Amino acid sequence: MWAEFLYHLRRLRGRIIGWGIGIGLYGLMMAWFYDAVTGMGAELGALLASYPQEMLAFFGNVQLMNTPAGYLDTYYFSYMTMIVGILAASAAAGMVAGDEERGVLDLVLAHPISRTALFWARLLAVVAALALVLLISWLSWLPAIPWGMEITALELLRPFLPLLAVLLFIGTLALLLSLVLPSSRLAATLAAAAIVANFLLVGLANMNDDLQPVLDWTPLGYYQGGLAVNGLEWSWLLSLLGVSLLFALLAWLLFQRRDIRVGGERSWRMPRSGRRREAASET
Amino acid sequence: METMALVVEGLTKSYGDVRALRGVDLEVRAGEIVGFLGPNGAGKTTTIRCLLDLIRPDSGSIRVFGIDPQADPVAVCQQVGYLPGELALEPNQTAAEILRYFSRLRGNRVDWAFVRTLAHRLELDLNLTIKNMSKGNKQKVAVVQALMARPPLLLLDEPTSGLDPLMQQEVYRLIKEAQAGGATVFFSSHIIAEVETIAERVAIIRQGVIVEEAEPEALVNIAVRRLRVRFQEPVEVQPLAAVPGVTILSQDDSVVTVQVAGEMDGLVKALAAYPVSDLETERPSLEEIFLSYYEATGDEQPQIEEAV
Repeated sequence: MWAEFLYHLRRLRGRIIGWGIGIGLYGLMMAWFYDAVTGMGAELGALLASYPQEMLAFFGNVQLMNTPAGYLDTYYFSYMTMIVGILAASAAAGMVAGDEERGVLDLVLAHPISRTALFWARLLAVVAALALVLLISWLSWLPAIPWGMEITALELLRPFLPLLAVLLFIGTLALLLSLVLPSSRLAATLAAAAIVANFLLVGLANMNDDLQPVLDWTPLGYYQGGLAVNGLEWSWLLSLLGVSLLFALLAWLLFQRRDIRVGGERSWRMPRSGRRREAASET
Repeated sequence: METMALVVEGLTKSYGDVRALRGVDLEVRAGEIVGFLGPNGAGKTTTIRCLLDLIRPDSGSIRVFGIDPQADPVAVCQQVGYLPGELALEPNQTAAEILRYFSRLRGNRVDWAFVRTLAHRLELDLNLTIKNMSKGNKQKVAVVQALMARPPLLLLDEPTSGLDPLMQQEVYRLIKEAQAGGATVFFSSHIIAEVETIAERVAIIRQGVIVEEAEPEALVNIAVRRLRVRFQEPVEVQPLAAVPGVTILSQDDSVVTVQVAGEMDGLVKALAAYPVSDLETERPSLEEIFLSYYEATGDEQPQIEEAV
């Protein structure tokens, strides 16, 4: 299992480096701007007051922008779920179904490694890859502290935990979908689309309280974002992790029962109604 | 020591409406080389992949050295070197990296000196990246990974696919050497010469059922053969046509082409009465053997597809 974990993590190293550098540079840039933005003081308040109230409501905690929590939330954590979510969805959806589609999994599973060991080793590698990208991101934000952000390194680390939990939610959802749907890309796309839709729902729920009950059924309804700097909401965090674990367990069960496909064998198709089946058999 | 390497009983498998296996019964003794023949879509690959628990049969039982692959697939895979028919390798890695990964999956029990020997004999550069390799070189990587752990059972799906004739001969030698070292070999093929060269026994699968198990020579002997006979002068061929199993296909001056079904003895004796200057026989193709077999058993003819 350890060999498989290291092997899969090595396969993800390009994405870890690419995403880490990209997100890291962005974090460094926003850390650099922190002092300038919060230094605007009353001008910032006047600027925000000039925006339409609906727009300010949509983006949530904009009024807190001159605090570390509000700044981190507005400029980073509120939409990093969508951006790094793409990595989570594609890496998780591809870890089993992607290899199966490319025909690579066939030969691997013909070696003495159980499906259980392969599955959990690869999932752990995906989790480690996401954690490494977030670690690089955290490191890129650290210079904000000497540049004027009144926060400790540990407090800065806190919001990365809910972010990782949401990424795990997206990843395990994509993984589960990849074992149900005909293509891993479709699964990744659907999972990523779901989180974008959830982001829009958060904004709309900020404008309309009637949508709040709907938000309670979505992962971002339990996501603290940058506000986690002030303290973690453990029940939310554990809920996200719990559902992610449930998705992962379901995916593992499906993988255990699955026929590993190669060319020439039948793949997934839409279930046909009795009438359509009869029509097809007549032709 | 288990005397049977493979025991398959009543194996069935369907993909949706398509019944790929309809009750496969098969036994392979430890230490023998068995060829597995059949037209495309007959169920060869499906059978082999069931043996490794890559796909799950609908019914029937499998034992690999007495182990049920569904109950303990890891134990089965420890005994098996597998060469897939649909080969796909990680394109961005070198052959050495992939082989080291497979070695780690086997608990690093692979003798790397043996890997280098195999690579040398197959003229394979282990430092080449897979994406820069020809189909033949990728096939060599697959052959090496199947053999490198010296497993007691080799499951080879079209082992020489994409290899040039010299390399095919080298692979035959490697398979024979593996057998000499105690391994059992079960391989699928479309090449009759390959089966004749290395197989001790042949199982023919058709539409998901094993229809025949025989020695390769016996298989070739049931096929129709063609003979081209050049006589020293034009001759009257009616007596030849009267020989049982012989059909005159064409006559061009002193050259006569005949088709013979079954034993050649009658024709040879009939030809003894003529002044023969040359005689050529054509070996039957695998397709012709299949067709002859199905005609002999009174079955409908199978849809023989282009060999892969």
